[in-house]
Amino acid sequence: MANVAAPSTSNSFSWQVPAWLAPLAVVVAAFGVVPFVASPYVIEAILLPFLALSLAAVGLNILTGYAGQLSLGSAAFMAVGAFAAYNFNLRVDGLPLIVTIILAGATAAAIGIVFGLPSLRLKGFYLAVSTLAAQFFVQWALTKFGWFSNNSPSGVIDAPPLAIAGVTFDGAVGRYLFALSVVTVLTAFAYRLVRSQAGRNFIAVRDNELAARVLGVPVLRTKLLAFAISSFIIGIAGVLWAFAYLRTVEPHGFNLDRSFQILFIIIIGGLATIRGAFFGAALIVVFPLILSRLGSAVFGTVFDSGVLDMSQRIVIGALIIIFLIAEPDGLAALWDRLIKRAHGRTEP
Amino acid sequence: MTRHLTDVGSIDSSSTQAAGPDVASLLQGYDPGKPATEPILHLSGISLAFGGVTALTGVDLRVEKGEIRAVIGPNGAGKSSLINVISGVYSPDKGTIGFAGQTYAAMRANRVAHLGLARTYQNLALFKGLSVIENIQTGFAPRVRSNFVEQTFAIGRARAEERSSRQAAEDAIALLELTAVRDRPVSTLAYGLQKRVELARALVSRPVLLLLDEPMAGMPAGEKQELAAYIRTARDSLGTTVILIEHDIGVVMGLSDRIAVLDYGHKIADGTPQEIQANQAVIDAYLGIAHPEDDAVAGEARA
Amino acid sequence: MTGFDFTFFLEVLVGGLLSGVMYSLVAIGFVLIYKTSGVLNFAQGAMLLFAALTFVSLVERGVPFALALAITFLVMVLLGITIERTVLRPLVNKPPITLFMATLGLSYIIEGAAQLIWGTQVHGLDLGIDDTPLEISGILISKFDLFAAAVAATMVAVLTVLFRWTRVGLAFRAVADDQFAALAVGLRLPRIWATVWTAAGLIALVAGLLWGARLGVQFSLSLVVLKALPVLVLGGFDSILGAIVGGLLIGASEKLAEVYLGDVFGGGIESWFAYAIALAFLLIRPAGLFGQKLVERA
Repeated sequence: MANVAAPSTSNSFSWQVPAWLAPLAVVVAAFGVVPFVASPYVIEAILLPFLALSLAAVGLNILTGYAGQLSLGSAAFMAVGAFAAYNFNLRVDGLPLIVTIILAGATAAAIGIVFGLPSLRLKGFYLAVSTLAAQFFVQWALTKFGWFSNNSPSGVIDAPPLAIAGVTFDGAVGRYLFALSVVTVLTAFAYRLVRSQAGRNFIAVRDNELAARVLGVPVLRTKLLAFAISSFIIGIAGVLWAFAYLRTVEPHGFNLDRSFQILFIIIIGGLATIRGAFFGAALIVVFPLILSRLGSAVFGTVFDSGVLDMSQRIVIGALIIIFLIAEPDGLAALWDRLIKRAHGRTEP
Repeated sequence: MTRHLTDVGSIDSSSTQAAGPDVASLLQGYDPGKPATEPILHLSGISLAFGGVTALTGVDLRVEKGEIRAVIGPNGAGKSSLINVISGVYSPDKGTIGFAGQTYAAMRANRVAHLGLARTYQNLALFKGLSVIENIQTGFAPRVRSNFVEQTFAIGRARAEERSSRQAAEDAIALLELTAVRDRPVSTLAYGLQKRVELARALVSRPVLLLLDEPMAGMPAGEKQELAAYIRTARDSLGTTVILIEHDIGVVMGLSDRIAVLDYGHKIADGTPQEIQANQAVIDAYLGIAHPEDDAVAGEARA
Repeated sequence: MTGFDFTFFLEVLVGGLLSGVMYSLVAIGFVLIYKTSGVLNFAQGAMLLFAALTFVSLVERGVPFALALAITFLVMVLLGITIERTVLRPLVNKPPITLFMATLGLSYIIEGAAQLIWGTQVHGLDLGIDDTPLEISGILISKFDLFAAAVAATMVAVLTVLFRWTRVGLAFRAVADDQFAALAVGLRLPRIWATVWTAAGLIALVAGLLWGARLGVQFSLSLVVLKALPVLVLGGFDSILGAIVGGLLIGASEKLAEVYLGDVFGGGIESWFAYAIALAFLLIRPAGLFGQKLVERA
């Protein structure tokens, strides 16, 4: 598994720019340049879903990529986050948006711990299957009990206006900046976390649970922590999905396909890399748009939405298999290789 | 750096009436007349079976503080089972384990590190996704008290812990001469180096007792000697007591203070290397492998 | 509870057990592949959909029943071989979780392809068995359920015989025990895998027809896989007996819960109830139904 090693403090690559420079440049561009050049369409159709899915993938990567606990229920925790935020906002007067978001994440974390309990006894496929219980139970509960959606028909909720300290973020650009800020903060947190003792414990439990236990790593606590933090982040990704991107969601929007989508993002992007989540999400978001343009250009009207839907499924399935076979470390590893090669060429 | 056995008092010693630990440890001394020679580890009557297959039968073993104690025997003699019993991976069916003044019916894998026990594995059990130094730092886990928030933001207790775990890891790296590879992912290292990293990871918490499960298996002769030297260095500089499981009788002769020999789950000999070399039962046990048809008979005869 | 209707209870129980047999049938497809290649084949549901959709589309185009069955079977054989060639072979010796994710991808491809080829509309499938209730000693039982259970039981018997007493079965078991040893003694893994996937394809065909006749042949058929998974958690991924008993247990308790607890939960609990049973059971008895030697499910 690539890129889980510590940031290279050795000077074996003396030409390398400082490790923090590239991410910083990306963040500066995302805040300072993108809002001025991106059209509302690009923001609404690409950047907002990209940000929400990237964050969900960062969350899942902590659980599955770093701590090695395969989860098929990510969408459930997105749903918990979204509906919790909706209810906190609705039922607690004057609760600041930031507090709402944190509480939503905490609710998702609590639910995550509950559904992570089987991980103390179950491993591998048995655990993966048991995470499906979260998926189905949460979706059922949110649809079944009208209270969660304030008794709206079929559980649809509408996002409240986004405002922090009197500043509203309601336009496309505003919501983009809002989502970007949340994603930046949580990604930085995740980045620090996986490089700390807790992060080393995650990897130790993933790579050899028995050895970790004998070494004194608190295995059970580590697993539950991974579930909690992962669900916290995924829950907040759900808030972004509901509040910043779609503005109106129903439980069905957080179905099993969404869970698989997030899993696919981390496979394609690269397990146990933070960057991978962003690479993978970019591909998963942009790719259907390209496919639909391409399809209608080549096949004309035969390429209707049904055909598009099916061909998307096929191509995404194929992509997964191709990545697993040809590039098991994902786009992140591919990117590293390209950079290295580019450097090789520019050096004398 | 002095070792302190944190948490000893809170360990659930499942076998005894759990009076005050200090009193209990005195009462359970195996030789109350001579507390000074109380062994660091005392196995008595350990038996273990998997289904119908017997792995260990009534094995006794005394390990004195500071010695390098080898346990040898042919394949399938029960050596690995023994180490797994000591490190809590298996629970014995019968017998008791006396360790650091306490008596246990079984060790628990998730507590042994806190008792000051560390081990390596016959087949490497490194964390492939971590670098050399990170692997070694993981061995510091029993000392960690900080929570993930402190660790993530490098605040509070985590600051000092990270500093000392890093320092301890650097010490182990220096001791085992791993400096050149300290930031490499372990999976990229040669087999012999990985074995050394595993040893360093076990040593980083300054264990009272170090269990080495066939550390030299699959190594060329030169590397075996090299690793033997590192094991001796570890004992000499850290005062760690070492139990060494080996298949190869030759390699442990020069390294060990005392040797126990297992065959078919029974201890058939115990003594200094010289005594073992001259022991007829040991010679038979090793020769017996060449005549599998005699095994059943021979095994019974020896038992 | 006033006036407990025992006959009604029995009816529900029998109905549950019979639908449990259908779960078992799907679960056995998983077990077969898991035992021989250590893969949890998520694509089993997609294969089921693909088989049923192919069959029903052929029949709708005027192909006789038997011929359609034969053609569909042939298609499933080809699919099995293709999967072995293009997915399994390049991923040999990869961790099981990687293979699982590959079968996730596979399920997307197969589902997409099935509907791209045959369309997304719902097809009715009539196997010629009317679903009239049959009265056996005072209990009403669906004739179709009985038929489906009989077919499933036959499949299980045939597979058991194959697995136990034939050369192929022996090879299967050797591979299941130890892939490397099997390779060393000259068993040809690719052929065995292709065979196993073909057998799984056959099970998918039978299960697809039965479930298709019950639910209509449509995309949601592929979700039958989600019914089989808790059965597997309960019975163990590697035990055919576990799949059968687990299926019966889950089928029965699901139906009973639906009838007797449905009101308490406000209905619609079938999406997660089977999972809750499986998990609760494992919490009480971590070794699973048949006390497999592993204490922790690895």
